[in-house]
Amino acid sequence: MTRLINAELAKLRTTRLVYGVTATMAVFGVLTVVANITEAGRHGQAPLSATSLPGLVGAPATMLSGAALLLGILGMAGEFRHHTITQTFLATPDRGRVVTAKLVAYALSGIAVAVLTLTVTMAAALPWLHAKGLAVSVLDGELGRAVGGTVLAAGLCGLVGVGIGALVRNQVAALVGVLVWAVVVEGLLLNLLNAPSLGKWLPSAAAAALTNPGDGQLSRLAAGLLFAAYGFAFALVGTRFVVRRDVT
Amino acid sequence: MAVISIEGLTKRFGEVVAVDGLSFELDQGSVTGFLGPNGAGKTTTLRMLLGLVTPTAGTARINGRPYRELTAPLRHVGAVLESSSFHPGRTARSHLRVMTTAAGLPSTRADEVLAQVGLERAAGRRVGGFSLGMRQRLALATALLGDPEMLILDEPANGLDPEGIHWLRGFLRHLADQGRTVLVSSHVLAEVAQTVDQVVIIANGRLVTQSTLAALSDRSRQVVRVRTPQARVLLPLLRAQGIQADLDGHHQVAALGTTTETVGVAAAAASIVLYEMHAERSNLEDVFLELTTGQGATS
Repeated sequence: MTRLINAELAKLRTTRLVYGVTATMAVFGVLTVVANITEAGRHGQAPLSATSLPGLVGAPATMLSGAALLLGILGMAGEFRHHTITQTFLATPDRGRVVTAKLVAYALSGIAVAVLTLTVTMAAALPWLHAKGLAVSVLDGELGRAVGGTVLAAGLCGLVGVGIGALVRNQVAALVGVLVWAVVVEGLLLNLLNAPSLGKWLPSAAAAALTNPGDGQLSRLAAGLLFAAYGFAFALVGTRFVVRRDVT
Repeated sequence: MAVISIEGLTKRFGEVVAVDGLSFELDQGSVTGFLGPNGAGKTTTLRMLLGLVTPTAGTARINGRPYRELTAPLRHVGAVLESSSFHPGRTARSHLRVMTTAAGLPSTRADEVLAQVGLERAAGRRVGGFSLGMRQRLALATALLGDPEMLILDEPANGLDPEGIHWLRGFLRHLADQGRTVLVSSHVLAEVAQTVDQVVIIANGRLVTQSTLAALSDRSRQVVRVRTPQARVLLPLLRAQGIQADLDGHHQVAALGTTTETVGVAAAAASIVLYEMHAERSNLEDVFLELTTGQGATS
C-alpha cells in the first residue's frame, strides 16, 4: 500500500497542478491577512485585539477546502480524462487498492497544502499584530482549534474529492456539480424543507462548521465526525463504482 | 503450453454483442496477429484479457490465471493499448518512474526502456509535445518496464507514418526473437504479415480461423481474368469443364483454379475472340477480406 500511495504522490508531484494550487493558496492567504488587518476597525469590522490571531490565520479555510476538493477530483477524474487509468489498473489490477491509495494520498495532499498555507498566514499575521502592540500568542487554544479544524477539513475534502471523481469520472462535470451543490442545491434544500435547523447536517454546512463554527451550527467535533462520515461515504460509493465499471 | 487461453469469451454492451463465444489458445513464444475488421471485437477481447473489461461470460487467462489475479502483472505482461494514455504535463521519464513505483520495479528501469525505444533524448520533455510516433514508442517503453515474457499490443501501428511502421515492425521482430510471446492486433493483415507466425482472425466477435501464416497463404488461389466480347459464350464452356468461373463485368470472365493455357485452348476451340488474358494470384489480403466479409454476411 505504501508503494501505491507513493506512486499517487509521485503522480501529483510530477505535474504542475499542485504547485499552482499551493502558490495560489499562499498568495490568497497573505492577501486575506493584509485585507483583514487593514480593514479591521473600519466599515463595521471588529477592531484588532489580542484574540484576532485565530481568525486571521484561519481566514482562507473555505478556499483551502475547495483547493483540496479540486486536487482530489482532478487526481481521480483526471485519470479517466487522460486515459491514464488504463496504465494504472494494468500495474495494479486490484482497483480497490488503487482508490484507497488515492484517498490516502489526496487526504495527505489536502493536509499538506493547508499546513503550508496556514504557516504563511501565520508568518504574515503574527509579527504584524506584535508590531501593533497586541499580545498574541501561538499557544492560544482557539488558534490550535482553528488550525486543526482547517487542516482536518482540507484533508477530508481531498478524500471527498477522490470519491466524487470516482463517481462522476468527468472532471468538468464533477467540478461544476460540486459548485452547484454547495452554492445552489443546499440552499434550495433548506428552503424546500423549510427547516433551517436541518441545514447544519448538510455536507458543506458541516465543512464550514468544522473550520469556523458559529451560532446554530454543529460543534467542531460533531461537524468533524459528520464531515468525515460524508467523506468516507463518498469514497466508499466511488470506489465501488470504479471497481465494477469497465475501462474502455 | 498455452500462456494465453480464451474460452467462450462473450461481452455484451447493452444490445450490442461485441465478443461472442470466442475461444483460442496461444503457446509460449508464439508471435500472433490478432486480426479482424474495425469493430470485430479485437479491442474488447484484449481489454477483457487484461482485466479492464469484465466479460459477460467465459474466461480469459494468462498463465492459467485471470489478469486481475496475477501478482506483479507488469513482470509478466506488457500491454500497449491506446496511444494517448499519458498525462500531457508529465515528462516521459516521470511517467515511467510513476509506473515503476506503482509496480515495485527499480526506478533505473525508466531510463533503460527509454534507451531501448530510442527516446533517451526526450526523457525530460513533457509528453504533451510528443508526436504520435514518440507516444507510441513511450507506450512500448511502458510495456517493457517489467521486462515481461508476454506483450499484448492493440493496433500499435495506427496513425504511424511509414517510417514509424517500419521501425515498429523491426522492433516487434526483435522482441519476438528474444523468445517473448507477442499478440498484436491489427485490421490490416499486411501490417503484421512480416512479423507474425500465426494469425487469429475474428469477425463480429466470433473466431473465423486460427492458422499459421503459411496455411493462410495456401488458401490464396490463382485467378485467370479474360477480356472478351463473348463473355456469355465463354462462361458456360468453362463451367462445363468443371472450372469455377464468373462474369466480372460485361466483357470479362474471372476463372478460379485454372491456367491461362486451359482457358486459351477452350476459347480457340469455340472460336471465341480474346482481347486480353492474364493470371493473378489472390494475395493474403484477399484471403483475409474473403474470410472476414464472408463471416459478416452470415450474421
